[in-house]
Amino acid sequence: TVPPGPRIAITAVTQPLPTQPQYTLVDQPLLRDGLRARSNGRIEVTLASHGERNLGGAEIIRLVRAGQAEIGAGTLTTLSGDVPILDGIDLSGLAPDIRLARRIADAMTPVANRDLERFGVRILAMYPFPAQVLFCRAPFTSLADLRGRRIRTFGNSLVDFYTALGAQPVSIGFPEVYSALERGVVDCAITGSGSGAAARWPEVSTHISDLPVSWAVAAYVVNLAWYNRLEPAVRALVDDTFREMSDRLWQLGADATRDGIDCNIGNREGCRIHNLAARPMTEVKATDADRAETRRIFEQVVLPGFVRRCGARCGEIYNQVIAPLSGVRFGG
Amino acid sequence: MIALVLLLALLGVVAFAAASGAAALPVGEILMLIGVFVVVFGSGVYVGAVLGLLAFLIGFLFSDRPWWNFAGQTLWGPSSNYVLVAVPLFLLMGEILLRAGLSERLYRALNVWLNRLPGGVLHTNIVSCAVFSAISGSSVATAATMGSVALPYFQNTAYSQRWVLGSLAAGGALGNLIPPGITFIIYGLMTETSVGALYIAALLPSLLVTGLFLLLIFGHGLRHPLPKAPPLPLSVKLRALTDLTPTVLLILLVLGSIYAGWATPTEAAALGVTGAMAFAAFERRLNLRMLHASAEATARNTALLGLIIFGAYLLNYILTSINVPQATARLIAELPLPPWAIMLCIIALYFALGTFMEGFSMIITTVPVVFPIVVALGYDPIWFGVVVTMMVEIAQISPPDGTVMYVLQGMRPRAGPISDVFIGVMPFLLAYLAAVLLLLVFPEIALWLPRAMS
Amino acid sequence: MLATAALLRRGVSALAALLAWLAGWNYVACALFVTADILGRNLLGVSSAATVEVTGYMLACGIAWALAHTLAVRAHIRVDMLVNRLPVAMRAPLHLVSLLLLGGFAAFIAWAAWELVDESALFDAHDNSALRIPLVVPQGIWAIGLSAFVLMCAVLLLESLLALLLGQPRRLDELLGSRSLQDETAEALEAVGATPGPKA
Ligand code: NA
Ligand code: NA
Repeated sequence: TVPPGPRIAITAVTQPLPTQPQYTLVDQPLLRDGLRARSNGRIEVTLASHGERNLGGAEIIRLVRAGQAEIGAGTLTTLSGDVPILDGIDLSGLAPDIRLARRIADAMTPVANRDLERFGVRILAMYPFPAQVLFCRAPFTSLADLRGRRIRTFGNSLVDFYTALGAQPVSIGFPEVYSALERGVVDCAITGSGSGAAARWPEVSTHISDLPVSWAVAAYVVNLAWYNRLEPAVRALVDDTFREMSDRLWQLGADATRDGIDCNIGNREGCRIHNLAARPMTEVKATDADRAETRRIFEQVVLPGFVRRCGARCGEIYNQVIAPLSGVRFGG
Repeated sequence: MIALVLLLALLGVVAFAAASGAAALPVGEILMLIGVFVVVFGSGVYVGAVLGLLAFLIGFLFSDRPWWNFAGQTLWGPSSNYVLVAVPLFLLMGEILLRAGLSERLYRALNVWLNRLPGGVLHTNIVSCAVFSAISGSSVATAATMGSVALPYFQNTAYSQRWVLGSLAAGGALGNLIPPGITFIIYGLMTETSVGALYIAALLPSLLVTGLFLLLIFGHGLRHPLPKAPPLPLSVKLRALTDLTPTVLLILLVLGSIYAGWATPTEAAALGVTGAMAFAAFERRLNLRMLHASAEATARNTALLGLIIFGAYLLNYILTSINVPQATARLIAELPLPPWAIMLCIIALYFALGTFMEGFSMIITTVPVVFPIVVALGYDPIWFGVVVTMMVEIAQISPPDGTVMYVLQGMRPRAGPISDVFIGVMPFLLAYLAAVLLLLVFPEIALWLPRAMS
Repeated sequence: MLATAALLRRGVSALAALLAWLAGWNYVACALFVTADILGRNLLGVSSAATVEVTGYMLACGIAWALAHTLAVRAHIRVDMLVNRLPVAMRAPLHLVSLLLLGGFAAFIAWAAWELVDESALFDAHDNSALRIPLVVPQGIWAIGLSAFVLMCAVLLLESLLALLLGQPRRLDELLGSRSLQDETAEALEAVGATPGPKA
């Protein structure tokens, strides 16, 4: 229901790789093709992945802010270097299930936007990747077994989390993780269950945990000046599209989490989105003790670490917005 | 300049496609830009500045975005990329080995065995570069190190300067193909392919390329015979082999640390530097002055590349933001052709891009688009990694823009025009391309060894 | 006046050399740092958890801090097949044109770098490593190196322009032209231990 008018060209730089299901199942059909169809061809979206634009992912907010793209997307942990409050939405051990993760993300979006609008950008929607789980090249049965292992992590809250377990966080670029696992440079690495399947990690690791440590929550950001200049009808269409994408992506996150594990452990029936592993892995089911330990570490180590990095204001925001949902308060 | 003609021909194809409505590329302006490019290049401008100027022109002509607002990030990103740290580390290792006398010993030991062949010391250039490549993962470092050893050998000799420079550039272009290699690390990084498997797959193709180079020199030697060095007794030749021991030890340290799981391929470069320092200490050549000279030379050569990379990445940012590599790659993928013909087009695309693009930025921006196409066509990711690496090596020795050639030009003992390097490298460039085509026809050259070993 | 400009250029060159030495030793330090990290991880079970970020900064700053010195020793690559065949009188102004272009490019890079530092300061940006390094620190060090490069371009431009105006094109050619036979030979011979190879 967009009235006729001049053509609107939009550049959107979204997922890290063009092969990711978030890109092929949501960005391409809804953002690119959907906007064009529903605007009767007025909106033309040029879609690109980070890789195609030679971007690392941490600079997405600056990219959108500088007017190089109208829309960008990136994971909050990666973006938190520029906007620390974003890290609080996806702390390690914060959300044991994806429903809670979504409620936290939805509650925090307006809060995060207060910070972001100072920089001329705004979040239109948040969405998850499959649960971030541990891939190891040697057997383990519980979190306690990870003591002393070298674990490839990224971002501060994961470093805090595994350090608290007595493991040794190792800093290696994502691209090198495959060979690092293959050669034993690291013992374990953490990534999305489905991302590990896509990256063929089952070829180089044997055991996969089903305990979601975090969700790699990501956000679509828009250039605020551009967004405010849009015709009301077009802006409404963009808002609707992102609401629909967000629903689709949270559903995809839930489906892809189990699907990724099923693909990695060679369960053919459950494996529909990713590729079935040629060498099935062993699934390590989390025990109640593991879940309790995760919560303890979150409360005692990860959350205080986040507030230390982000500042006292972040602790207050956490207690106001997230604590009622998660049931864990900062500072007791 | 052959490459430039091919580039123009390819642009002709793009123009044709654009005229038939397949893509909306502003062809006339592109051709004009290439004209400006050629003229400016002729008048002696700094390479980095030319690339930057080209980026400005294209940016102001074709981009409707304030791209300059993002230039700081565009330049900061790649220049602080940890994968590229391997470049100065491999350069530093080369400088230390040069001053510790290892490169010289390597060159002399091989020369004893090779200098009586038709083509003489030119063979030593290739083989010593090939052996050095097994320690060093950077083509520029290989060309710089072996070039500084080899070039003085050819002062006041009857050898053709063009063949000397051409063979060293070609030998340098083995640096990435023979494991270890930075290109494989980057490719493995982007496609999540095992760098170890890529290294193994590259072994036979690198032997093939080396063999073709030696054949070429052999042929040249037969047509232009030079007086032979006096023959040496076998005992002397065998004793010369002991000079290869330190090289072999370093190869074991760098490659062994990767396969033993101690270090990532990027980190192995740092182990190489430490190993080189240990070797120099053993030779009693390690001292502050020597280390200082190595550090200074490394800083200079990295900065020389850095300036070019600044220009290249700025240009690359503008090109990708107006979708040139992506549009071209998609255009090629959608051609109604059998897979092998599309692959041939992809190779031609890399060749054309490689004439004026810097190798790293070329693969970083095209692989995300091209890789899914290649996999969909049914090609093996490992095989394609080897082909891409060969295309990057070809890019480094294809005029007018090629870092290996620039580094060699920068260290010539007798000043001369850079066209000596450009012309000298041509036969080797064609041989390299022939090897790529062989690999296209017989993919087993790359795939047999990894399969046999797993 | 030309003498003053030359003195100024020599002073800046000395500063540039100092910066380049630091850049070079920074690579030595980088190699030792990574080696220590490898050994620590494999033998002692400790790792810096910031190797990726810190070595990246070392590369960026190493490049930036050595740019000016590389220009002072005329090691930046030019495509000079045409220009070197021209008589000095024509060559000199072309040198000046190419230096002017380089100076413009350098100024743009330095401006972009300081803008980036500004933006990082606005964001109060930190990296994601365990050390949480404020980005203004490495980016500021980087921008300082790039500014030194602009300064080097500027003093060279000043001296070249004066030389051209005072009718001394040969002096300009010596400042900017390709490095002479003697420079290069001396350097190559020094590096390989001062033994010119056998005439094989
Ligand atoms: Na190599
Ligand atoms: Na080239």
